[in-house]
Amino acid sequence: MPRSDIEVTVGEMLRQHGISRRGFIKFCTAAASAMALPPSMGVAMAEQLIHARRPSVLYLSFQECTGCLESLTRSFAPTIENLIFNVISLDYDDTLMAAAGEAAESARMQAMKDNFGKYVLIVDGSVPTGAGGAYCTAGGRSAVDTLREAAKGAAAIVCVGTCSAFGGIPFADPNPTEAWPVMAIVGDKPIINVSGCPPIPEVITGTLLQFVTTGKVPDLDEHRRPKVFFGNTIHDRCYRRPFYDQGKFAKSFDDEGARNGWCLYELGCKGPTTYNACATVKWNGGTSFPIESGHGCIGCSEPGFWDKGSFYAAQSTPLWGKAGESSPREVLELTAAAVSAGAVIGVASAGVSRLRQHRSAQDADQRESNGDN
Amino acid sequence: MSRLSDIPIRIEPPLAVGGVGGGVTALLSELITLLERLGASQESAAIDLRSLPMSIDDLAGLRRALGEGEVRATLDAEGLSAIRETKVPGVWWVEHRDRHGELIAELIEVTRMPQILMTAPEEIATGARLLREQLALHPVARAQ
Repeated sequence: MPRSDIEVTVGEMLRQHGISRRGFIKFCTAAASAMALPPSMGVAMAEQLIHARRPSVLYLSFQECTGCLESLTRSFAPTIENLIFNVISLDYDDTLMAAAGEAAESARMQAMKDNFGKYVLIVDGSVPTGAGGAYCTAGGRSAVDTLREAAKGAAAIVCVGTCSAFGGIPFADPNPTEAWPVMAIVGDKPIINVSGCPPIPEVITGTLLQFVTTGKVPDLDEHRRPKVFFGNTIHDRCYRRPFYDQGKFAKSFDDEGARNGWCLYELGCKGPTTYNACATVKWNGGTSFPIESGHGCIGCSEPGFWDKGSFYAAQSTPLWGKAGESSPREVLELTAAAVSAGAVIGVASAGVSRLRQHRSAQDADQRESNGDN
Repeated sequence: MSRLSDIPIRIEPPLAVGGVGGGVTALLSELITLLERLGASQESAAIDLRSLPMSIDDLAGLRRALGEGEVRATLDAEGLSAIRETKVPGVWWVEHRDRHGELIAELIEVTRMPQILMTAPEEIATGARLLREQLALHPVARAQ
């Protein structure tokens, strides 16, 4: 009886695709470099993976723009082709897979049954709960139901993008679909948030590879993001940081300071409070990142980035987070706790309501301080 | 209409002009320690150049300081890799590129021979099997 695809080891799969051991060591060395792991880890990772079985991976897309998947398919090291064909068994992705309709959904159900408790669930997009979940349905099932069902048998959930990690743009005020991040709905599974709008492709593939290699959830920060990628702020590792320290700031996008490549803090750069790897891993195969192109960081990997006021206002401009009031993070934590207590909607609604009141008050303050009518 | 060259962009001069910058000095010092360890205990080590905040000038300075040695190897696996021993014996400069020629990893290895060049023990048996299969197809071998 032929063995199923998932029983084949990575090494056997590599041989089937004509990829040599040296080619795979090279792939792992590049991946270790992208993940800021010691170079010796590349060889160790390759030796370990060659004998490992390929884990089943299901990719669910909910309330999202497909930007995260577009980003993922542009990963240079490791490339998504390398990951899909050699290291993981991507059993469901309704955007990438050739199958559609009943065939696609039955592939998902079969993979969930065959690999119950072992598969990695990737979620892209926030989960709308308004109107009984009717704002996002596929195959006649709402996103929230599909997520709950798929989460039951997952070994871990990787939330790709700020929408699934923190709610993202659908969660932004006024949140018409009552969208929530995955961690507000699933409370009993390991969740790894790979935030960003979109996330850096190598950060997505690197996180997956690290989990597949070690079988463990990596060290996470307070927002459940892998510390290896989200351990520093953009500002900490920015090549323009010396100008900040010297007090040299661009005042507009076409002034002398901008031409000199000075710090973009006064033009609204959110680098000082944004944790991500853009300044080190960079984009497009390590070519550059937004600040290198003359635009400040918009803080897209942080919770609530869309509601933090203008991307072009300096961070010293007061926004939200007054002493004694709830931050979006606190509301999310409150919600996650409520989910486990089985009281999600009531508390969540109260949280949203409080947030909106808070934002309205701040907007009024802001307008007043700007002299607007 | 103005041309691209008319836009008054001034390139910021490199912070360390000429000679070897502080980061390179620190790296060379680290390499001495790693070479001494290799000599004493055969322990290999590697430094990921992409993980260090090095400017183009720093990298060029490091290349000049280490120079070119006698051995140059090209690995053709999922893209080309250049593996060169520098003029400092035991210090190798390794560049891995993908199939599109993009640099995906750049390392300095302190070792007698980079591991990626060595044949893996499990592949030696595969080599013998391949030769046996080839010999079996050979007309002279079949005649016997």
